Amino acid sequence: MRKPPTTDRRPRIPLGRRLRRDRTLLLMTVPALVLVLVFNHLPILGNVVAFQDYDPYVSTNGVTAMLESPWVGLAQFDRVLSDPSFWDAVENTLVFFLLQLVLFFPVPIALALLVHSLLRPRIRAFVQAVLYLPHFFSWVIVITVFQQIFGGAGVIAQALRERGHEGFDLMTDPGLFKFLVTAEGIWKDAGWGVIVFLAALAAVDQSLYEAAAMDGADRWRRTWHVTLPALRPVVALLLVLRVGDALTVGFEQLLLQRDAVGPGAAEVLDTFVWWTGLRSQDFSYAAAAGLIKGLVGLVLVLTANKAAHLMGEQGVYRK
Amino acid sequence: MTPNAVSTGSRRTEPGRGSEPGREPAPSRRSVLATGAVAAAAIAGGAPLLTACGADGDTGRKDGTTSGKEAAKILPAYVPSEVVPADVPAAHGSAAGFTRAIPSAELKPSVAEKKGKGGALTVMAPFWGTPPAPDNPYYKAMNEAIGVQAAWQNQDGNVYDQKLGAVLASSDIPDLVVVPGWNLGGKIPSAIDAKFEDLGPYLSGDKVKAYPNLAAIPTDAWQRSIFGGKLRGLPMPASYVTNIAPFYRKDVFDAKGWQLPKSADEFLALAKEITSAKAKVWACADMTWTAWNMFGVLNGSDKALGWHLVDGKLVNRIETPEYLEALEWTRKLFDAGVVHPDEKAQNQGDTSVRFTSGQCLIYNNDLSHWYGKTAEMAAQNPTFAMAAMDIPGHAGGTPQLWATNPANIWSFVRKGAPKSVIEDALAIADFTAAPYGTEERMLTDYGVEGVHHTVKDGLPVKTDAGNQEVSSSWMFVASPAPYIAHPDMPEITKAQVEWQQRMGALTRKSSFYGLTVAEPGRWTGLMNDFEQLEKDIVRGRKKLSDMQQAVAEWKTKGGDQLRDWYKKLLDTTGSAAG
Repeated sequence: MRKPPTTDRRPRIPLGRRLRRDRTLLLMTVPALVLVLVFNHLPILGNVVAFQDYDPYVSTNGVTAMLESPWVGLAQFDRVLSDPSFWDAVENTLVFFLLQLVLFFPVPIALALLVHSLLRPRIRAFVQAVLYLPHFFSWVIVITVFQQIFGGAGVIAQALRERGHEGFDLMTDPGLFKFLVTAEGIWKDAGWGVIVFLAALAAVDQSLYEAAAMDGADRWRRTWHVTLPALRPVVALLLVLRVGDALTVGFEQLLLQRDAVGPGAAEVLDTFVWWTGLRSQDFSYAAAAGLIKGLVGLVLVLTANKAAHLMGEQGVYRK
Repeated sequence: MTPNAVSTGSRRTEPGRGSEPGREPAPSRRSVLATGAVAAAAIAGGAPLLTACGADGDTGRKDGTTSGKEAAKILPAYVPSEVVPADVPAAHGSAAGFTRAIPSAELKPSVAEKKGKGGALTVMAPFWGTPPAPDNPYYKAMNEAIGVQAAWQNQDGNVYDQKLGAVLASSDIPDLVVVPGWNLGGKIPSAIDAKFEDLGPYLSGDKVKAYPNLAAIPTDAWQRSIFGGKLRGLPMPASYVTNIAPFYRKDVFDAKGWQLPKSADEFLALAKEITSAKAKVWACADMTWTAWNMFGVLNGSDKALGWHLVDGKLVNRIETPEYLEALEWTRKLFDAGVVHPDEKAQNQGDTSVRFTSGQCLIYNNDLSHWYGKTAEMAAQNPTFAMAAMDIPGHAGGTPQLWATNPANIWSFVRKGAPKSVIEDALAIADFTAAPYGTEERMLTDYGVEGVHHTVKDGLPVKTDAGNQEVSSSWMFVASPAPYIAHPDMPEITKAQVEWQQRMGALTRKSSFYGLTVAEPGRWTGLMNDFEQLEKDIVRGRKKLSDMQQAVAEWKTKGGDQLRDWYKKLLDTTGSAAG
């Protein structure tokens, strides 16, 4: 019997023969599979500590300690949900996410259009190099550079003082911190984000531009009617991914600046989990907070995917 | 910047402020070489009269503490040793000062024969800076001299608490593990009891006499090494006098004719005079630690030290008016703009570098910085001079200072280690605890002559190899009674000890001084947020009223119950402070 041709055009081959036939290919996937299983799937089991009062030291090692730690049901979740600092972290996370979505997300698209419009290969390569480079700086360096320029003893503040004005300190102002974080993110990673869009632009059929030009479309109209529609699936895909990842807004960057503005302005879910879990060794509590974050992320990605479908895009996956 | 210098600036480079409000920065390598611990004089008569409280048998977790008769059963005998008389004898809880170099020919052996059985063992220790290669000549020389094959696993000291938490939860614990007191947060104390061997069978009472250098470690350092009712730790003794010294640039102060402040108000006024942001000079760093001392706030470096019996009632440091006053004053410094801006940000490198470069003229850190920074600057800036000012009382006069702990770094032997490994570990400890003037001390501090140091004008001077390889790690395993010895700078050695003695004369011991107290698990996290709140308040991000609210919450969430628990502990055991 055959499956309907729409889903599978190939004749059905017995499993054994398929395994034999694909043996080499399957073997080649094994290392990757093991890697994912061991480092991504196996640790998921560790989430059970969220339902325990976990003490990693009751047994000979941390894993068997899970078997010996007492079960406490949903008590850890109660604690998390009634902890004001958890909700502060949630609020900060969402504010950072929305700001990044509005201020950061469009920047790579604009940059991609700019780079794409450059025709001279040498200039283009130069601009690309400049744009990509900051991505390879570590956050420590980025933040130090920002501090040296915008900090209280930074270049700008010091130049102002030398001319008899008041200095200023952008780096320790909790109110401006969310914008600072977004600005640092743009400086570091906007150029890197260009790559995907450039690839999409390269795939646009040149004859579409020619046809549009024949029809009398000027540069702007060509952009509007040809380029942007070509980018739409990629934008939708990245948007869905970004929304699904909404609760992950940067860990190292925020951890490094947590002291400069205080946790009131800088604590996000990831740093909260790190702080409570590793620094205070309240592993169960941190696991519960992490689990909540994971669940919310799942809901968000499903919602965003659905929204993409409603807008007629492919999204991340389709059933 | 010294490889092992520890910054007070950023949280992550500030081991002194682990999970509880503390104020002791980790010792830099030099501090480790410099400071020892004192305590001997103080403790001699006053061995604490505590008995175990809340102890529930030999195994499993315990909370409470052990002292008095219970402790007497397990504490090692004390057999003081003095190879060379101190040039500045210890007094008022200070370290002993040695200002003379002892010529190689006059060095005495303190370990009769090679004690090690040649066994291999692994040692994990924190390290600040770049650790030397695992099989470097210094480590080899030490191994050879002791008769062991110790393999060192040096870990980044700034994030040692994380590493420690993970290693202790694994089934692969090194044979010997160094644990600083400021890393005893969260569930680590329970892990110490569960994962480390009881050394009592090897050291209690007269058994310690098999290890003469360990027998010369003062009793109150051993008292601090009792965890969960057993003698588990090998201590690195320390002076109980506050280790936080307010340093100032003596060269600049002298040139400008500035007088040292005698009160909190004078400090602020002077700081305003010094600060010239235009010229990129700010008066001071974050002075919170000094403020605690100026205002007489109970010591925060250890949870138990923060409790004190006042009129029959235990009071915690965070409930005292002095605590709020100290915060308020520090906040004024930040408000007045006299604190270096990078101190506010806290994530910008090392405070002491801003001090030595002249951007910031007053800072506070471990007393050992006095020698360390002076030695570092000697070559770069011949006019550089620094000194520690006497801590001023906030209202003028002298301050009320509180004692810190007589030992705050230990090494522990893995539970289940074979007898031979335990004995090799003790052989290392006996070697590294050798007093000043011995061959063992010289090798531990200066390495091999001709390789790690040369003798010039009678003074040992480290070579480049010495600076790279000779590190604090070995001293973490165990150290002699506190001492400061810098024969190359006798004046500074003397000044350090005398500063300790002047401050020591103003120092009192709070109710739980010298005891290692394990709080019941449900309350160990109560204090977690206070340190951050302190930082937020002095930097103007939170208000003093937020602190008052936090203290009120702390009381209802368990602080009051914890008070009762500590009171019961004190009633059933008695105080060590006398």
